[in-house]
Amino acid sequence: MGTQPVADTEEAKWQKVLYERQPFPDNYVDRRFLEELRKNIHARKYQYWAVVFESSVVIQQLCSVCVFVVIWWYMDEGLLAPQWLFGTGLASSLIGYVLFDLIDGGEGRKKSGRTRWADLKSALVFITFTYGFSPVLKTLTESVSTDTIYAMSVFMLLGHLIFFDYGANAAIVSSTLSLNMAIFASVCLASRLPRSLHAFIMVTFAIQIFALWPMLQKKLKACTPRSYVGVTLLFAFSALGGLLSISAVGAVLFALLLVSISCLCPFYLTRLQLFKENIHGPWDEAEIKEDLSRFLS
Amino acid sequence: MACRGGGGPGQFPSAVLSRVSPGSLSTYRTHTHNICMVSDFFYPNMGGVESHIYQLSQCLIERGHKVIIVTHAYGNRKGIRYLTNGLKVYYLPLKVMYNQSTATTLFHSLPLLRYIFVRERVTIIHSHSSFSAMAHDALFHAKTMGLQTVFTDHSLFGFADVSSVLTNKLLTVSLCDTNHIICVSYTSKENTVLRAALNPGIVSVIPNAVDPTDFTPDPFRRHDSIITVVVVSRLVYRKGTDLLSGIIPELCQKYPDLNFIIGGEGPKRIILEEVRERYQLHDRVRLLGALEHKDVRNVLVQGHIFLNTSLTEAFCMAIVEAASCGLQVVSTRVGGIPEVLPENLIILCEPSVKSLCEGLEKAISQLKSGALPAPEDIHNIVKTFYTWRNVAERTEKVYDRVAGEAVLPMDRRLDRLISHCGPVTGYIFALLAVVNFLFLVFLRWVTPDSVIDIAIDATGPDGAWTPRYPPSKKEGKNNAMSKTR
Repeated sequence: MGTQPVADTEEAKWQKVLYERQPFPDNYVDRRFLEELRKNIHARKYQYWAVVFESSVVIQQLCSVCVFVVIWWYMDEGLLAPQWLFGTGLASSLIGYVLFDLIDGGEGRKKSGRTRWADLKSALVFITFTYGFSPVLKTLTESVSTDTIYAMSVFMLLGHLIFFDYGANAAIVSSTLSLNMAIFASVCLASRLPRSLHAFIMVTFAIQIFALWPMLQKKLKACTPRSYVGVTLLFAFSALGGLLSISAVGAVLFALLLVSISCLCPFYLTRLQLFKENIHGPWDEAEIKEDLSRFLS
Repeated sequence: MACRGGGGPGQFPSAVLSRVSPGSLSTYRTHTHNICMVSDFFYPNMGGVESHIYQLSQCLIERGHKVIIVTHAYGNRKGIRYLTNGLKVYYLPLKVMYNQSTATTLFHSLPLLRYIFVRERVTIIHSHSSFSAMAHDALFHAKTMGLQTVFTDHSLFGFADVSSVLTNKLLTVSLCDTNHIICVSYTSKENTVLRAALNPGIVSVIPNAVDPTDFTPDPFRRHDSIITVVVVSRLVYRKGTDLLSGIIPELCQKYPDLNFIIGGEGPKRIILEEVRERYQLHDRVRLLGALEHKDVRNVLVQGHIFLNTSLTEAFCMAIVEAASCGLQVVSTRVGGIPEVLPENLIILCEPSVKSLCEGLEKAISQLKSGALPAPEDIHNIVKTFYTWRNVAERTEKVYDRVAGEAVLPMDRRLDRLISHCGPVTGYIFALLAVVNFLFLVFLRWVTPDSVIDIAIDATGPDGAWTPRYPPSKKEGKNNAMSKTR
């Protein structure tokens, strides 16, 4: 301590300790100042194409919403027979179901311990109940004005996109909420369709595209990334094609959106990574890395 | 001994010296300061910052300065109160928002604070704790009024999450034209310099202190047939209570003669109770609940080993108090803790159950083999490390330095805000500074400084509470002093 630096103790080395009175002023700055500073020790380096690949989850979900709306529009216009949609949906569900087990060689099934009989039962229960309640679903929101229904559907589908589990570990992610919002939107839209059979098929289709399809995608992505990319491209182009048949402007805008999400955003992210400056040092709060729950189990 | 109580005349030579006529011994002190300590945290709230402010103020009063404290009202405790030795405390009627910190609008406290600064003729504002909104308000107003400012930072912050990014930005703004900053450890200095983008030359390191007379060993209070580990901390996540819940069963199974005494209260108490329940350790793990500061010593002296499991700590008074009571300290190596005690008095471990258990086992084996020094010896070493007198002496040097500096005039202050705090924040706060200045001009127009009554000093050179001696005695003392010189 003492404000005057002492000249005759030049060999006296400054120590980073508080209990000793040192011949340096209190505001002395040593060469060792900030020597324990570390930067970006936990920062991940992103590769452009890896990020593009990861962004396909978002693309898929956007396309799902697009396809759903396009199909609804066709049904609403009477251009698509409900039986035909039901048939295609059932067939693709069956293919998907077989694929789901084939991809990982039945490992996932062994792990969950779920039998095929249980799958069939829940599918039957679901279809029977939806069919039984479809007149109710049809008339449920009849008294609500169509504009309100459209607005609600838009908000619900947006919410579905926001809360969907894209694989990020964030507080906002809630796959339950996301799925519920999508189903709610489908119920809303289904009530504008001409008959209760339409409503039933619309809701079934919503379940297929919003609940079952993402599960299959996840497995595809984990096991066969190559075919996943192919599927994503195919799905995106078919969604675009569907939209193009309704509105050219919409299709162009949607294509721009997809391109910016899959190409521009990853580019921007990797560029911004260069500016990352995450500071670490002895002042950081220590993390407890062990699993302490074992002492209480 | 710290600076509480009256004490005999022989116990505070510096105060006596500062009171003698300017001619005789004026070389000792050039001049005294009128210091205003501002913080949201003060008695009746208890904690490190509170006792720091109190003890530092007492020692500064002893050294002949005038000190007042400004804090917010605590329930029924409002208005002006006088503490020991005429330490005047203003409890202001400001709304408490969260965790005893007041809400801030940056402006609403100006009328009150200005009134106090003027009537007390304050020259230096000393704010404490970055968690205290009032402290930052006072810094802001003091600069508007052209007063010297000092800030003491008592805590460490990270840089990783959103909340710390925001608070660090606010700290940058708040400290961008503060004259001097005091940190309690070198780690804390590095942290503060980075957080507030400061020139390290205006940051001093002055550690906290403990009163060694309050923490004396008493080896007869502990049972030497068993080994007792003492933990005294709030039972919260940041203090590492989760680690403690892993250490207790691990070591209790290994050493049948090991007992734990845990003092403190907090949301994590439940997991300690669960551990005690599950491993049937009711007779070996005592949970004492919240402790008053005066009882801490009586708990400490019952133990052989003190365990600190904190995950972050700027200084850690607890380990100094424990070492002063003669305990072997085992602690995590986080924050400023490695700087606090020399290696032979502390066993440092990584913040994990495994490492802390190893550290404790090392302490236990040393204890069993008799390799540990006697508590009295440890106490005698530790008591020389940190004293409030020393803290006050070093803080005084900061005040002396600050008093000679110029306060930035308004235009330079605005320039500095804009150039230092980034384009967006800088302009926003420059605007606020201008508004604050206009508000001050308005207040000065409504009640000019000359209209404000000057308060009677309680402390300081002409303080009403400053003890005066009869002239004959003073003279005699003076002579005695000059002779000894």
